[in-house]
Amino acid sequence: MISAFVVEMRGISKGFPGTQAVDSVDLWLERGEVLGLIGANGAGKSTLVNILAGLLRPDTGTIEVDGDPVDFRSPRDAQSQGIAFVQQEIATFATLSVVDNMFMTNFPHSGPVIKRAEMRKRAEEMLVRLGCDFGVDDIIETLSTGDRQMVTIARALMSSPSVIILDEPTSSLSVGEKTRLFGVLNQLRDQGVSFIFISHFLSEVFSICDRIVVMRNGVVAGTDTTSSLTMEQAVEWMVGEGSSLTPVSRSRREPGEVALEVAGLTRAGVLSNINFTARKGEIVGIWGLMGSGRTELARALIGLDRIDSGSISIQDGMGLRSQKASKRKNLCGYVPEDRRQEGLFLPMSVQRNISMIGLKALTRLGLLVNKRESDLADKFIERLGIKVSHKGQKVGTLSGGNQQKVVLARWLAVGPPIYILDEPMRGLDIGAKAQIRALIAELADAGMAILVIDSELTELTLVADRYLVMRRGTIVGELDRNSDELSLMSLAAGAKEAFS
Amino acid sequence: MTTQRRAFGSKAIVDFFQQNGFVVVLAAVVLYFSLTAPFFFSFDNALAILHAAAPLLVIGAGLAVVVFAGKIDISLGSIVFLSATIGMKLHYELGVPSEVSLVIMVFIGLALGAVNAAIIVGLQINPLVTTLATMIAFRGLALTLTGSQSIALPEEIRVLGNARIGPVFIDVIIALVVLVLVSGVVKNTAFGRQIMAIGNDEDTAERVGINVRRRTFMAFILSGGLAGLGGALAMVQVGSITSFLGQGLEFTAVAVVVIGGISLYGGSGKIMPGVLLGAVTLEVVRNGLNQLGADPYLYQIITGIVIFVAIYAFSLQRFQTSTKTTREDKELATELPSSTKT
Repeated sequence: MISAFVVEMRGISKGFPGTQAVDSVDLWLERGEVLGLIGANGAGKSTLVNILAGLLRPDTGTIEVDGDPVDFRSPRDAQSQGIAFVQQEIATFATLSVVDNMFMTNFPHSGPVIKRAEMRKRAEEMLVRLGCDFGVDDIIETLSTGDRQMVTIARALMSSPSVIILDEPTSSLSVGEKTRLFGVLNQLRDQGVSFIFISHFLSEVFSICDRIVVMRNGVVAGTDTTSSLTMEQAVEWMVGEGSSLTPVSRSRREPGEVALEVAGLTRAGVLSNINFTARKGEIVGIWGLMGSGRTELARALIGLDRIDSGSISIQDGMGLRSQKASKRKNLCGYVPEDRRQEGLFLPMSVQRNISMIGLKALTRLGLLVNKRESDLADKFIERLGIKVSHKGQKVGTLSGGNQQKVVLARWLAVGPPIYILDEPMRGLDIGAKAQIRALIAELADAGMAILVIDSELTELTLVADRYLVMRRGTIVGELDRNSDELSLMSLAAGAKEAFS
Repeated sequence: MTTQRRAFGSKAIVDFFQQNGFVVVLAAVVLYFSLTAPFFFSFDNALAILHAAAPLLVIGAGLAVVVFAGKIDISLGSIVFLSATIGMKLHYELGVPSEVSLVIMVFIGLALGAVNAAIIVGLQINPLVTTLATMIAFRGLALTLTGSQSIALPEEIRVLGNARIGPVFIDVIIALVVLVLVSGVVKNTAFGRQIMAIGNDEDTAERVGINVRRRTFMAFILSGGLAGLGGALAMVQVGSITSFLGQGLEFTAVAVVVIGGISLYGGSGKIMPGVLLGAVTLEVVRNGLNQLGADPYLYQIITGIVIFVAIYAFSLQRFQTSTKTTREDKELATELPSSTKT
């Protein structure tokens, strides 16, 4: 008799040094079912599906596929059992063509020679089905991130799997791409293919999943069919206790003198004629849709990208004056969007990461004084509540929230007058987000001028004192702190000019 | 520099130079030698250049596969020496027919490649360190076996060094066949594509389900085997085994790969025409300077310059592709607001 469950995981546990990522979790999947797996960051979702996909081996527990026990030692073992995995990190090979990427582990061949013509034909059909507008011979490095994500999804579908795990598959997709993806997903479900769908977007999960499993701290916090589960209930399971979505408390609201003045800032094709000021003790939210030039503005401000015209003046103790790119780098504490790639030295210790920018102050006669560096690290680990086993721990092993605190600590150590935070809360769990928000407020209260870029509008409204709204590389309006999300969104999307 | 050129040159010419910069340089070198050395530009000399390049073509093709995977093998010169030595010892001391021992050399090369592979894959030791050690050890072993004495080749093999089919030397034919085969393997087998993927990003390759260890193992075996074959060709050309056989060849092979536009970071480049271009360029320079009666040390200086010019030309080409990418990304980005969540 065929088991009713295509996958059944029982008593799965997996620990990493310092954390129990997954703790005796049971998970089952029916044929033709779309299972939503949700939870805050660090809840153990990715660990669990990595185990099912053969990337990690569980410490304890059993896995059955179609009723037969399996022991996956590599992703290949899982693939041979019909389990395909679309990973959170977009796994493509930059110098190779789309078609090669799609068939990478599954080349159709006769003898040793791969069948190019067949591959191209099947790949073309798949791209049409997914509504992709790039060609099968395009080289991956010429594609956008969203297209690359579609390639990884197409690759998973190519092997005709019986189970498809999608770990945050929509993070870089446009609305149209998402719609087509969900369409294909529904077709396959009707053909008996099962899905595990991980997403941070509750609306997506609720619209396409049959059943939802909520994880928290490595265990299943609750599960129910989508039809009888409410979003409020799901969020409650995710958070554990009542959500803390209240604006951050501030000790002072009155902004001080102008700390940053931007006039006529232009970078051809990217930014045009940007003018604004930011005052001491003020949190300025920079809001705009993807591609509106928010990150580009941040990069130009701190001197990472050259500017074609305009001036950027910063209050540096000698008065508000125009600053060269090389000076701005030190006057603006920049927290980049992608902290793992651009913000941290992952294989290095917490202490070394914290001291990285302010090293000069830690030297005596040009030599680094260990004691000073170690004291500095201690100070900020305590002040920001960075959770580490010891200050020599590698930054790469910390959770997202603690990594972000390390990035901030590094700037706090040198104390620039201006902070530019690009998606400072991205990828953090709810608790860590609240902590980072509180930190931002604290910095502003201490008299820093802060620019915050955040794609989560609700999140931005919790911290910002006022908003600069960007569209197509320029500032299209300024809104005050009482503006609602609707007016911010309309302005950014160009639906209407400012309501105010 | 490029913007300056653009100011008074047409864009098409600039593009052509950026895409084919190195070929243009090579053509200029050939032209120079053709004008200055009376016998340079002739069919016979072209054949002679290919003949001289044959061992390098074979060894370079093997190294290229390893480099595609983002790895390096600097023991190839020593594999040449050791496999030739063992092959000839088998002939002289155990009476193995000399033609058979030529074939055996290829297998010894495969085995020595497997030794490298076992250390690199099995013990997870860095390929540069591993092959540095075996480069020294293999050569030491061969020197022990020969007692640093030269071994003369038997007459029946020595004549192969200048054997031809029609006007073409046999080793040239062998080398071209190897190039075509290896090129086919890289382009048209799962092994080849997966080697390229590993060179792109080994961690991603593993996560996607490529058997990285097995593929890497195979690449080093292949490169060892081709070094054995290339060594046999080199030995036959020289006519004897001296203690200098294959010395420095590993770095010449690296030069061939680099000049051929194959990135040492792995994941990009082509066997054809890359390796052919690289080996022929080096031999053209050597041959031309020889005919001009130039100082032999000049060859080394010019080879150094050639390597720099090649790398510069390919980085220009690469720069062009990458700027194109960012432009497209930007266009895409401004096209539609996509993942805004409220």
